[in-house]
Amino acid sequence: MAAQPARRMRVLLAKLGMDTHTVGVTVIGHALREAGLEVIFTGLKQTPEMVVAAAIQEDVDVVGISTLSAGHTRSLPKLARLLREAGAEDKLLLAGGVVPEEDKPVLLEAGVDKIFTMGADTREIVRYLEEWWSEKQAAETV
Amino acid sequence: MNKPIKSFVVANDNIEAETQRWEAETRAPFVSQHPERRDPFVTQSLKWPIKPLYTPTDLEQVGFDYLADCGYPGEYPYTRSTRPNGHRSDFWTMTQVTGFGKGADWAKRARYMLDQGLSGLILEYDLATTNGYDSDDPMVEGEVGRAGMALDSLEDLEAAFDLPFDKLQYLMSVCNAPQPVNLAMIIAALEKKGVDPKDFVLHIVNGILIEYTCVGRYIYPPEHGLRIATDCIEYIIRNHPNWAPLSIISAQLQPAKANPVQEIAFSLAIACAYIDATLERGLDIDTVAPYLNHFVVNVDMDFFEGICKFRAFRKCWARLMKERYGATRPEALKIRMMTSPTTIALTLQQPLNNIGRLAIMATACALGGAGEAMTTPLYDEAHALPAEDAIRVGAALQHIVAHETGVAETIDPLAGSYYVETLTKQIEDAAFQELDKIFAMGGATKAIAQGYFQRALGHEQYEQNKDIEEGRRKWIGVNHLRLEEEKREIEIFRLDGNMEDEQVQKVRDLRTRRDQAAVDAALEKVREAARAGDNLVPPCLEAVKVYATHGELCNAMRDVFGVHTPDSQMSGV
Repeated sequence: MAAQPARRMRVLLAKLGMDTHTVGVTVIGHALREAGLEVIFTGLKQTPEMVVAAAIQEDVDVVGISTLSAGHTRSLPKLARLLREAGAEDKLLLAGGVVPEEDKPVLLEAGVDKIFTMGADTREIVRYLEEWWSEKQAAETV
Repeated sequence: MNKPIKSFVVANDNIEAETQRWEAETRAPFVSQHPERRDPFVTQSLKWPIKPLYTPTDLEQVGFDYLADCGYPGEYPYTRSTRPNGHRSDFWTMTQVTGFGKGADWAKRARYMLDQGLSGLILEYDLATTNGYDSDDPMVEGEVGRAGMALDSLEDLEAAFDLPFDKLQYLMSVCNAPQPVNLAMIIAALEKKGVDPKDFVLHIVNGILIEYTCVGRYIYPPEHGLRIATDCIEYIIRNHPNWAPLSIISAQLQPAKANPVQEIAFSLAIACAYIDATLERGLDIDTVAPYLNHFVVNVDMDFFEGICKFRAFRKCWARLMKERYGATRPEALKIRMMTSPTTIALTLQQPLNNIGRLAIMATACALGGAGEAMTTPLYDEAHALPAEDAIRVGAALQHIVAHETGVAETIDPLAGSYYVETLTKQIEDAAFQELDKIFAMGGATKAIAQGYFQRALGHEQYEQNKDIEEGRRKWIGVNHLRLEEEKREIEIFRLDGNMEDEQVQKVRDLRTRRDQAAVDAALEKVREAARAGDNLVPPCLEAVKVYATHGELCNAMRDVFGVHTPDSQMSGV
């Protein structure tokens, strides 16, 4: 029998910059909450600096960025760098939304841990997060 | 032979009994051997049950009366068409959305689109512009010229309007929160190009209330947002009577997963908020309504929900204008719709399948009456900004539906279908019930302030997504006929990598070249008008002519109005 996780995973969902499409982030927010995760939404029009500050202040385990405009090739690498500079690179950084294939290697190289593009199943995202979480918990208890 | 024509509804009193007999003797035994594919059968987004068969009995049950419910094209209640001859005299105006890059990039793309047989264009601006920032503002790094054209000053529009204005009959401009600034810039740019404003139609969307509801590109608190929008409406009605000062983009509620009933009710409630604010400026309903009757309405893949929504929409507008406002002019009672296939039916997976979806949805638009104009999204929409191939196919689609299918050869060809008339009537009745609920709350502005629309949409978003994930709704390429490995089927359009830096440099250069004292004085006049409650368009027009920038003007209004920061109640997440 798997050990009961010590605490619930905390996820910060955020929309960077001027991208105001919220359907994706709303669905993910509802789905993660239904799966028992704690979800905090930053609201719209955040800068990478604001998201890093919120991630640290709220002590989240995961930062999920929903991106449906084409600005992600600049903003996501910046966010990843700021997280590293703040000593918060242990937080899982996820991106979701509209990300063209050729942008994916660039973002992954820059420090985004995983990208879920439009149409990804919320159950798949929950599964991915739960697996990551139990590995992290296991590593921490060793 | 002159036999008296029996009423459509009570054609045969035996129908109800006969239907029951058919059910018991013929259908039920068959179904017991051949179980149904779905349980239950429901419409896509309303999730209303769909019966195996509709008969005249259903029309009787919903109280259908041909003359009251359908009437005749071009006459109240306009269910069949607002146009006396449907599309037999002219097709709808065929348009597409475009916007990216710098002004000159937009002009090049716009000329290409006009050459493909389009006569109207929709100009979308980047998110820096629509949220009220200049390109060099640190808030908008990475967004410049991406989701639409970058617009910092009159110079950008002068470059964008390097167009054959003899081919361009109609331009819709989509810039809601900063609308007076955008309107002023377009007026000034047309003046510079020597275009007579009487010779073409500028249509500003001016749709700030839907931004607060679900789109999010707001700047100022809602009460100021509505005042600014009303300034633009009043300015156009009084100065450019052939233009259009508003569009209720119901087509933005639909991708936020509004079902057809919510779409009609929320959009009409929002229309009433603009109408009420404009009536307060001393104009009467028969003058105002013909300007505030523009709607953009989507169809999704459920053919009949879409077609019946169009039909119900026309009737609901007519009833609302007549019953709530006492409008009498036909122009006030007629809704003007631009119709569009929805982008949210399109998939990232197997993108060429989207051409099929677009063709089906464009056909539904045409069967539902198509409206004054149709716009088609593009098959590569889920991947990136549109490539030229996708634009060509999108334009061709509308011509294929118009010229090859015959669906526009007779007016409202699906009228009289037992199913179509039943569903149309059910949607109309439910929309009026929802509308009454919103009016009881105090109207659209109150519903937005209380987060009612936002939460209703958030709920629909989650539930409709679950339908797909759990397989109740089959979506080809997503949860049905999925490919293990997606191979690249299409070319992706890429923007010039230096575009943002160039645009940033351009606006910085402009600030060093212009008459700064004149700009400062003009910006102060905008602040004064904002404080005094004077119409904001004239001072914005003066300011853009001395090259005050878009962001500076938006900031001048921020100084007076403050900014909108919605609380958790107002967010549907």
